[in-house]
Amino acid sequence: MTDITPKERIKRFFNREPIDVMPVFSGQGMVTIQAIEKMDVRFAQIHTSAEYMARSAMTTAEIFGFDAVIIPYDMCTVPESLGRGASLYENADGILYPTVPSKWKTLDDVKIDSDFMTKGRMPLVDDAIRILKSSSNGKFAVGSWVLGPFTMAGQLLELDVLLKGLKKEKDKVEEFLSKMTDLVIEVARHYQELGVDYMNIREMGSGTDIISPRMWKMLVLDNLQKVFSALRSPKVLHICGSTDMIIELMNECGADALSVDQKNDVVESRRKLGNDVLILGNFDPYGTMVQMDVSEAESVIKKCIDDGVDAVWPGCDLWPEVKKENVEAYVRTVWEYSKKASPAVGRI
Amino acid sequence: MGKETLRNELLKDLSDAVVDMDEDKAKETSQRVLDEDLNAYDAIMNGLAAGMEIVGDLYDKHEYFVPELLMCADALYAGLDILKPHIKPEDLGDSAKGQVVIGTVQGDVHDIGKNIIKMMFEVAGFTVHDLGRDVPLEKFVEEQMRTDSDIVALSAMMTTTMMGMKKVVQMIKEKNPDVAIMLGGAPVTKDVTELFGADGYAESAGNAVQEAIKMISRLREIQK
Repeated sequence: MTDITPKERIKRFFNREPIDVMPVFSGQGMVTIQAIEKMDVRFAQIHTSAEYMARSAMTTAEIFGFDAVIIPYDMCTVPESLGRGASLYENADGILYPTVPSKWKTLDDVKIDSDFMTKGRMPLVDDAIRILKSSSNGKFAVGSWVLGPFTMAGQLLELDVLLKGLKKEKDKVEEFLSKMTDLVIEVARHYQELGVDYMNIREMGSGTDIISPRMWKMLVLDNLQKVFSALRSPKVLHICGSTDMIIELMNECGADALSVDQKNDVVESRRKLGNDVLILGNFDPYGTMVQMDVSEAESVIKKCIDDGVDAVWPGCDLWPEVKKENVEAYVRTVWEYSKKASPAVGRI
Repeated sequence: MGKETLRNELLKDLSDAVVDMDEDKAKETSQRVLDEDLNAYDAIMNGLAAGMEIVGDLYDKHEYFVPELLMCADALYAGLDILKPHIKPEDLGDSAKGQVVIGTVQGDVHDIGKNIIKMMFEVAGFTVHDLGRDVPLEKFVEEQMRTDSDIVALSAMMTTTMMGMKKVVQMIKEKNPDVAIMLGGAPVTKDVTELFGADGYAESAGNAVQEAIKMISRLREIQK
C-alpha cells in the first residue's frame, strides 16, 4: 500500500482514478462489538448520543483499518422525527437494532411536518457527522445513508397497506411516494451540506423478493432518478435482496455505483452492465463475519473480488457481534488480493 | 346438474377467486356453497386453500410477488369468513381442539409471512393466538402456558432476530417438551430448525402456504 490516505483512496475510487488497493468501506453500518466494548458502553446507548455514535464508528475503523466511517446505524431516525417513535430495546438481552413501533395505518394518516429535521434524533445525527468531520483529521472518509423513497414508505406506513395499495390505491400511493422522494432528497442533501464524502441511498424494500420488475419500473425507478439527480457525487444506490432481475434498471437511476448483496449474481450483473459500472458488494455480513470460520470468510472475500466487484462491501449492515479474526481477514484479504485492477478502477 | 359436478364447479370457482384476487367472487361462491348445502370445510380446503397453493407456485415462478400474495390472501379471507361458521366439528377432527400461538420475535417488525401462515392455520380449523410482531421472547412462553397451545409458531425475517428463536425454543421445551415448535421466515432453514431444537419450518411467504399445509398434516400426526 502507498501513502494515500483512506479518504483520498475513496475519493479516487469514486472518480475511477487509479488507486493502490480496493478501499475497505461500506455504505451501511460498520460498528462492531469490539469498539463498543472498548468504549465500555452498551449497543443501545450509541443510538442516543452523538458522541457515542461518532466515536463507535471511528473506534471500529481504527481497530480494523477501514477507510471510512459511516453513520447513522438505525433506520428509525426519520420515522421517529415524523412521530412514528423508535423502540431502542435498552433493556433487551443481546443486540437488537431499533425498530419503528407505530407506523401510519392508512394513507390518509400521512402527515409530514416541514420542520421534521429538527425533531427526534435528527439533530443528534447532524452532530455526530460534525464530530466525525472534525475528529477524523481528514484521514477517514465520512459516509452517510438515507433510505430510498420506497423503503422509507415501508418504514412509515404499514407494509401491507403500502403493498396492496400499489394495486388498489395506485394514485394515492404514487402521491405518497412522491412525498417520500422529497423527504429523502431533503435529508440526503442536508447530509451532503454537512460535508459527507459519499452518500448511499438504501432502497432495500424494493427487491424482486417483494415487488415485480414491472412495478419497480413503474413506481421506484422514476423516484430514484429524481433523488439521484438532486444529489451531488459520489452517490451510491444500494438494494439488498433479490436484484438480478432489476440490476439494469438500477443502473438507470443515476447513481455513481451500485451496491448489492449475496443474492445477486455479480458475474451475471457484470456481464449485463459492462466494465464501466462501479459494482460494490456482496458478502453476507452475518454469515461471513459472525458464523463462518476465518478461512471460509477469506474465501468469500476473494470470491467477491474474482466475481468482479470494484470494492468489497457487505450486503447489509455489519452485525456488531463479528468475530474479530474474520473482520481482520476481510481487511487483510482485500489489501492482499485486490492489487490488480478491478473492472472499473485501475491501479497505480 | 349433479351434486358432484356442482361441487367441482364451485371448488374451481373458489380456487380461481383466490388466484384472481377476486374478493367478490370468493364471497358469492362461498355463499352459493352454503345455499347448495355443500360441505363448508371441503370448500375451504379444496377450493380456497387449493387456490393459495397455486398462488404459492406463481410466487415461486416470479409471476406473483408480495402485493399479489396479499390480495389473494384477502380473497381467501373473504370466503373463509362466510364458510368458517358452517364447518361441522366432525370435519375438523383433532385440529378442532388445536391451539396455536404465533408471532414475530422481538426486534423484528416484518409480519406478512407470519400473517399468511396464521391464515392457513385458521383455514385448517386451528384456534390461533396471534401475539403480533416485535414480541418479547418470554411472551411466547407465557402465552403458550396461558392457552396450553399445542403449537408455537415463531417468525423472523432477519438472521439477527432469528437468533432469538433459539432462546424461545429452549424456554418452552424446558417447561413443556411436548409442544410442537415451528419456525418461519426467510433466514430459517432445516439446519437452523434442527440446531435450535424446533420441530418444523417454513421459509418464506411464498412457500409458507405449502409448508403450512404440510405442517398441519404433521401436526395432526403429532396430535394423534
